[in-house]
Amino acid sequence: MPTPYERPAPAPEGRATAIPSAAVPAAARPRRVFARPAEGKVIAGVSAGLAEHLGWSVRWIRVAFVLLCIPTGAGLVAYVFLWALSPQSRGGVIGDGTTTIDPADPQAAARVPDPATTQAASEERDATRVLLIGGVMVFLGLVVAAQSAGFNARLGILVPLLVVAVGAVIAWSQLDDAQRGRWLGNDSGTKRFSAARLVFGGILALAGLVIMATRGRSISAMWDIGAAVIAVLAGIALIAAPWMLRLWSDLRREQAELARATERADIAAHLHDSVLQTLALIQRKAQDPTAVVQLARAQERELRSWLYAAPTDPDVTLAAAVAEAAHEVEELHGIPIDVVSTGDRPLEDGGQALVRAVREALVNAVRHGAAPVSLYLEVGPSGVEAFVRDHGPGFDLDDVPEDRLGVRGSILGRMERHGGQARVRRLENGTEVSFALPPITADAPEESHDHA
Amino acid sequence: MTTPDRTAPRARVRVVLVDDHRMFRSGVRAEIGELVDIVGEAPDVDSAVTVIRETRPAVVLLDVHLPGGNGNGGVDVLHGARGLETADGQPVRFLALSVSDAAEDVIAVIRAGARGYVTKTITATDLIHAIRRVSDGDAVFSPRLAGFVLDAFGAAAGEIAEVDEELDRLSAREREVMRLIARGYQYKEVAKELFISVKTVETHVSSVLRKLQLSSRHELTAWAMGRRLL
Repeated sequence: MPTPYERPAPAPEGRATAIPSAAVPAAARPRRVFARPAEGKVIAGVSAGLAEHLGWSVRWIRVAFVLLCIPTGAGLVAYVFLWALSPQSRGGVIGDGTTTIDPADPQAAARVPDPATTQAASEERDATRVLLIGGVMVFLGLVVAAQSAGFNARLGILVPLLVVAVGAVIAWSQLDDAQRGRWLGNDSGTKRFSAARLVFGGILALAGLVIMATRGRSISAMWDIGAAVIAVLAGIALIAAPWMLRLWSDLRREQAELARATERADIAAHLHDSVLQTLALIQRKAQDPTAVVQLARAQERELRSWLYAAPTDPDVTLAAAVAEAAHEVEELHGIPIDVVSTGDRPLEDGGQALVRAVREALVNAVRHGAAPVSLYLEVGPSGVEAFVRDHGPGFDLDDVPEDRLGVRGSILGRMERHGGQARVRRLENGTEVSFALPPITADAPEESHDHA
Repeated sequence: MTTPDRTAPRARVRVVLVDDHRMFRSGVRAEIGELVDIVGEAPDVDSAVTVIRETRPAVVLLDVHLPGGNGNGGVDVLHGARGLETADGQPVRFLALSVSDAAEDVIAVIRAGARGYVTKTITATDLIHAIRRVSDGDAVFSPRLAGFVLDAFGAAAGEIAEVDEELDRLSAREREVMRLIARGYQYKEVAKELFISVKTVETHVSSVLRKLQLSSRHELTAWAMGRRLL
């Protein structure tokens, strides 16, 4: 798809000085792709599209079509063929996204009617169409009346011709994908409906042809003709089938490739916004290993949440809130924390206290302990348990001076105030802080609120 | 960090490396190539099966996501190399290695026969330990895998098997071992904590692995599918 950036800039002021603007030939205007606009049409938009394409007046083209119809019907044939062979466009865009307007041509873009006025105009067109159909009906009635009055309108030829035309229109109109949706109102069943329409139209056209061919002959002759027609059709099918099949598979392959390309473009856009930016940052911070690890971890998490389902809202559940706290600490201090959790429950007061206490313990672990730091959260019917473990030298609670509030206040005290408990254990290799909360019960005693 | 019998001089483990990222393969080779014998590499399912059949290594380091085969990645390799034995009559064992933490990936490769699951961020030392453990026939459980197991068997919700042989639930002891592994404990630390030997811990872990592979617990698959990422 051409974008404005891809074409050579047309140096506007250069052209303005070299050629007087009035001398620019009208033909220099880039020609629009021939498509039937959905806006401003009376029957199928062929005249409007033709006018847009040739740069002529719509009115004259319509008059020409009508005039061509009267003596021989050539105008009708031309109209139907143009209808069948041209794509429909909506707001200047053909179904597959090709624009009919040269994007570098602001005048052409301005010619596209804006949707609001189109809406009002289309209602008017609907009324015109009803009038048109009514006119055709009146004409048909007059023909029939004239016939019964003794005037020979040669119905023997006219009726089969009309049948063929109607059949063809019905069959072809399924190319008009916009109409399909309008007739049906929804997408489900569209396929079956359009197939039925195709079959019905085909049978109608075929019947018209057969009537025309057998005019004035016996039934047995009709059988012969029918057999011959079937033989010819079978022969054509036999010859054309492989070619049609290949064409069809080519089409399918192209469609699949298009879908893949779109998906690739989406992924490329995301990678550009996130991963490439991070990689650039990493290169610039190559001297600082901590920053590099931190960037890589943050990017990894972001990419994971993009690839898999988005994480649960940390405001809602305990497990999500604890994981969120761990990620925050990890980002602040640049030391990876392994988070493992099983089970979950809604986040209530006690849970919030637990999240704050766990966060405090994690900060201690990454500050004073050593990697790997791991966090395990288990939510079950018998309550919540959480464990924060590091591999540092460890410390004894008794060695911590009384005035240091970190562990005592924000971990042990906070948990006790909410009916839970916390314990610090010194292991042979590192420290482990364990937390416990009772299960949520309906008549849980309201603990003093903690907003530390 | 290891028990003496593991650091003692021993035959170098023969390893085949299966991963579709050449950079990752050369990285692993550079990190652990000194300590194990990397006898083959493969970038996709079909060449992996061929290489494994030819070399019959003790351990295959297997990426979960691979091109080729039936489109199931590592699981296809496990199916394609089923029943193979090394020169000294041991089965060829598999250690799954992945960047993905998605539960369905983990459960799929374990149920297809892998003896363990570690993430690609694992350190070289830990990877060597894991390879040796797998080559000895033990299972390797990362904290995350232990968390999956506890969740999948409903152990965190208090479901405990009455008898050890029950396939659909963990025994109380197995649950304790899994909980400690999930808390970041090494096998040695688990043993110390529960006053049992490292060998007993390994037995428990192997039995959990067997349950994970054989259990018909219908929730297991549904659970893994429903829970895309922990």
